Amino acid sequence: MASLPKRIIKETERLVSDPVPGITAQPHEDNLRYFQVTIEGPQQSPYESGVFQLELFLPDDYPMEAPKVRFLTKIYHPNIDRLGRICLDVLKTNWSPALQIRTVLLSVQALLASPNPNDPLANDVAEDWIRNEDAAIAKAREWTQLYAK
Amino acid sequence: MSKDGDMVIKGAEKPEKRRFFNEDLEEDGDGANDTTGDGVLQNDLSNQNSFLFGGASDTPGVEESMNEIEEIKDVIPNLTDSQANDLLQKAGTSSDKRERIASAVEIYFENHGPQSKPTEPKQSRPSPQPGSAFKLTKISAPLSPTPAKRIRDYGARLFKKHKPTVRWRRFIGSMQVSALATRPTVKPLKYGSELKILRTSSDALGKLYYANGRKKASMANYVRLVDENLNREVGRVPEDVAMILFPLVDSDELDFEATMIYCNNRRLSVGDSFIVQLDCFLTSVMFENYSTLTRNTPVLNKRTFSQNVVESEEELRLKSRRLALISLFDQVQLRTISENDSLDSSFDEPAEVVDLDNESDSGGETAKNVDIRSIQPSQIQDDVLNVNQLKSLYKSTLSMESSKFLPETSPSVESFQLELRRYQKQGLTWMLRREREFDLVSDTASSEEVDGDMMNPLWKKFRWPKDLSWASQKQTRIELHSQHSVDCFYANLHTGEFSQAKPVIKSMLKGGILADEMGLGKTISTLAMILTVPHDRGYHERKPSEQQEKLDADISILGSQRVEHSKPYAFKTTLVVVPMSLLSQWQQEFEKSVSNPELHCEIYYGGNTSSLRTLLTKNKSPPIVLLTTYGTVQHEWSRLMNKNTGYMESDTTGLFSVEFFRIVIDEGHTIRNRNTRTSKSLMDLESSRRWILTGTPIINRLDDLFSLIKFMRLEPWSQVGYWKTFVSDPFEKKNYKSAFDVVSSILEPVILRRTKVMRGVDGKRLVELPPKEVIIEKVSFNKSEDTLYQYFLNRAENSVKEGLDRGDLLKKYSTILVHILRLRQVCCHSDLLGSLDENDEDLTENKMLTEPVKIDEKLANATSSSDISQEELDAIISLVQTKFPDEEQFKKLECSICTSEPIEPIMQVVFTECGHTFCELCILEYIRFQSERKQEVKCPNCRQAIDSKKLLTLENDSNKIKIVHYNGGSKSSKITSLVKSLKRLQDVSSGEQVVVFSQFSSFLDIMQRELSASFSSSVAQIYKFDGRLSMKERSRVLHDFATKDLSKLKILLLSLKAGGVGLNLTCASRAYMMDPWWSPSLEDQAIDRIHRIGQVNDVKVVRFIMEHSIEEKMLRIQERKRTLGEAVDADEDERRKRRIEEIQMLFE
Repeated sequence: MASLPKRIIKETERLVSDPVPGITAQPHEDNLRYFQVTIEGPQQSPYESGVFQLELFLPDDYPMEAPKVRFLTKIYHPNIDRLGRICLDVLKTNWSPALQIRTVLLSVQALLASPNPNDPLANDVAEDWIRNEDAAIAKAREWTQLYAK
Repeated sequence: MSKDGDMVIKGAEKPEKRRFFNEDLEEDGDGANDTTGDGVLQNDLSNQNSFLFGGASDTPGVEESMNEIEEIKDVIPNLTDSQANDLLQKAGTSSDKRERIASAVEIYFENHGPQSKPTEPKQSRPSPQPGSAFKLTKISAPLSPTPAKRIRDYGARLFKKHKPTVRWRRFIGSMQVSALATRPTVKPLKYGSELKILRTSSDALGKLYYANGRKKASMANYVRLVDENLNREVGRVPEDVAMILFPLVDSDELDFEATMIYCNNRRLSVGDSFIVQLDCFLTSVMFENYSTLTRNTPVLNKRTFSQNVVESEEELRLKSRRLALISLFDQVQLRTISENDSLDSSFDEPAEVVDLDNESDSGGETAKNVDIRSIQPSQIQDDVLNVNQLKSLYKSTLSMESSKFLPETSPSVESFQLELRRYQKQGLTWMLRREREFDLVSDTASSEEVDGDMMNPLWKKFRWPKDLSWASQKQTRIELHSQHSVDCFYANLHTGEFSQAKPVIKSMLKGGILADEMGLGKTISTLAMILTVPHDRGYHERKPSEQQEKLDADISILGSQRVEHSKPYAFKTTLVVVPMSLLSQWQQEFEKSVSNPELHCEIYYGGNTSSLRTLLTKNKSPPIVLLTTYGTVQHEWSRLMNKNTGYMESDTTGLFSVEFFRIVIDEGHTIRNRNTRTSKSLMDLESSRRWILTGTPIINRLDDLFSLIKFMRLEPWSQVGYWKTFVSDPFEKKNYKSAFDVVSSILEPVILRRTKVMRGVDGKRLVELPPKEVIIEKVSFNKSEDTLYQYFLNRAENSVKEGLDRGDLLKKYSTILVHILRLRQVCCHSDLLGSLDENDEDLTENKMLTEPVKIDEKLANATSSSDISQEELDAIISLVQTKFPDEEQFKKLECSICTSEPIEPIMQVVFTECGHTFCELCILEYIRFQSERKQEVKCPNCRQAIDSKKLLTLENDSNKIKIVHYNGGSKSSKITSLVKSLKRLQDVSSGEQVVVFSQFSSFLDIMQRELSASFSSSVAQIYKFDGRLSMKERSRVLHDFATKDLSKLKILLLSLKAGGVGLNLTCASRAYMMDPWWSPSLEDQAIDRIHRIGQVNDVKVVRFIMEHSIEEKMLRIQERKRTLGEAVDADEDERRKRRIEEIQMLFE
């Protein structure tokens, strides 16, 4: 495996030594570019008390290219589809090499706190959300209880 | 057929018309024989006669017969009428009276001859001369010639005037020769009649050759076939046969017999062709000559070739003889048998001689159905090897399996303290044997084993063929064979020497070529040998004779060039000549390996000793090793060389004032061009033992070897004439196999070559090296480089196209090389333009090089459209400046991309127009990345759109740090890639040592500058090693670089030329090749600086190649060279062709 840029090593060290509250990120033993991530559902959100598993991968061009992040835990969210893919600007067009793993994960956490059904990835979920927000939130809670425990 | 008898008759009757009658009679006689055919021994011939001359004649009238009887009785006294009549009856039916008489007389002799002297052995007959002398004998004693006639009747041969020295002869083959009639004959030539080969001019060589040795006239003019009986010329042979016959026919060494076998049963007109069988025999003289030649004058004998090859009459004679022999052996299809072949197996019988006896009656056709081989002397070797085969041949020569089984010799611990590897111990054995120091070799093998009973490979073994000569087939006759038991003989067709005993190489040369592959420890092996035999142990007792011997040898070798030859003998000193860069390495190795403090080594570079002669010969303990450089030797030599006379003046103090005990030249291929001063100077050094160390004995052409052989004074090959005749010439004539056979035979005894991949006796590789990985990293041009490259590419392409169109591409070769050089320089760094490539000395003459290159103009044109005004820039600078009021802040800047903080050295800081700071590399990479994806370039920190032309950087201007415009174009893409790679390496592990190769010294300068700007001195140390360093600096640089410092990245910038050979840089395990070189082997050599014995880590090499540039094409040419085998470059034509192809490849 190609040698790891100093920046990745630095970031990894900091994630371990100075973790973000509610977020853990562990590099995989065999591939230091692959992280196992957990994010706790933000309070006052339908995902509260859930612990969501994610995976994060730093591509070769990182930090020029954004990390790839995906939910592993099933989640009912208008910006996250059934495969766990996330619709988040900083992961796509708004990525900047000045951003880091830490900031990306914070953005994901923030996305849980404030779903944005107007920029949906999961169309059916977004429709539910717009049509009947309460029912959708209830369903999100239910799923959190079901899958993110 | 008794022509002689007939001649007597006719001669007596009508002497003035003798010739015509003879011919008439001859023809008629054949007819007569044909129809009667009752002579006991005539049966043999009757078939052919009917085939050739078939057809019966009328029965003669009775009245005529009475006359005939009288005539016969005239010829043969004591003959009764009835006897004469009987004879006439037998002689039969010919219409011609004379013919019948001739037949009758013949029959008489047939029947009576054997009765009178039945037991007379033919061999014991005094050699009768056919021709006039013989006739006289017969006139006086008509009965006596009977046996001779009988022999001729059956196609047997008279013995020619064999000298008493010829004890025996043996058949080696026959050929069918299509001869050309030069005189008309009245009758068809008789089948089976013997023809004599006559050389018409004995001193014709002068007419045949010009003074320069070129042949001017055809030898066929001087070789005639003469009818044995008529003593009259009948024809000539084709030139290719004449070439064989002319030089050989008068010698005792060979014996030729020509037999008329086919003339279409017609009388010959001038220009008609007829077929002759030519039987060839070797005589005992041939073999005796060899032994006298070689025993008495072992090496030089008479064919000394002088430096400027003008061949004397004698040499011409020998040359033509040699060519004739080769051609002869080829024609008679004598095949060599290899030494190991069992005699019974795999031996092809030579093609059966085409025998017209067995031809059917369709013989009316002319020579068409006769197998006349089109004979071409050049077809000595049918299968021409291609270059790849040559290469493998070359390889097989060098890596001898036998070296695997050499015994091991350990050097004495008292003088040599290092432990040798097994193969090095074997090498030591070999080297000591080469020096004839047999008592020191642990396994005291006899001296014979050293030379082996290896047959001199110039010699070939031949088997005596079955005797298929006319004589032996037509008549079982006892030949003069004295040695039937011997199946084989040996011949050296190159020199024309023959032997019955197996010729074995004996060389008196002490020394050789140690050609182990790089990294196998040639230096250590050599030191082990030097320390084992530090001085000439036999010097005192053998001095007088040896000196005299040497004197003689030298005089004969160099002729008049040297008169003075009694130099003092520095019998305790080995002179080691090395390239400058290796001087200190040798010294260190010596210090490391020597265990006896009395043995010391000194470096000599001219003038540091008042008198070398005194030091070496008058001193009690002279240095046992004197290290010097090629440059020093060449310098002293040039000083001594008298320009006017071309001779060397005698020297009293320097290297040329003594004769050394031993000379070792390291990287011996340095002298491969024998016309260079360095090479010439080395040749003139005197010593009694001469060694060459080289990992690459052949670099470009076969002749590279000649210099090495000349240096070793390996007789006789060190004579340029020998080399030319046996190696260069055959090679140029594409007779590769012959040339290579010779080369390998020359080299085999004196060269030892092992390669890393060879396995020792234990089955393990000689050297187990850690794996090596070579990665090609493609780099793309930045915009300004691309502009510049396209500009030069267009110019070059136009020039090449012009050249190709006009067909004078090679005339413009050097111009095109300059074009190519420019392109290669742009690939590295635009600042290189206008500088010279140190490896392309041949370009210095070219005008184009000095032509100024206006890069800025080109670049300005390319970028002017989007240029930014100075005002705009100033505004940005002042804006950014306000964000950093304190200069100290510059030292604490952070890069958000690589998260470095602080960014250092501060020259690396780049500001965006929004005032955010990044490392130069990071932001450039970001801009490149975004542009490639056609995405907007925004500041990573604030997402404001930024313009790559509006970047700013810091400049240290007289201790004041200033913000200035960042000119991104000045950094070459390659250096950027290098820096990036180095940074990454540094991130992973500090304390690495890396080597960076480039062939451009000025590129090394630029890299030194830019790397210093990219790495602060606290984290990286940069060293530079190139040809401009003095000896002292070199060893300091190498020493410092090799010293491990875990806190620092050490970078050695190494010139491919200065550091490509010899250096040991195993402390580093990473290398970067900044630019490709034409020859892949040179690059391999460079890589081997780190990938060699002592390397413990995996080796990683990165080769930077500019994408879509000439460098990619150079890679392809390298690939091609690898497959075609650049080691054995073909002849000049081939090289030219290849060059053109290469140039086309570059610009296609």
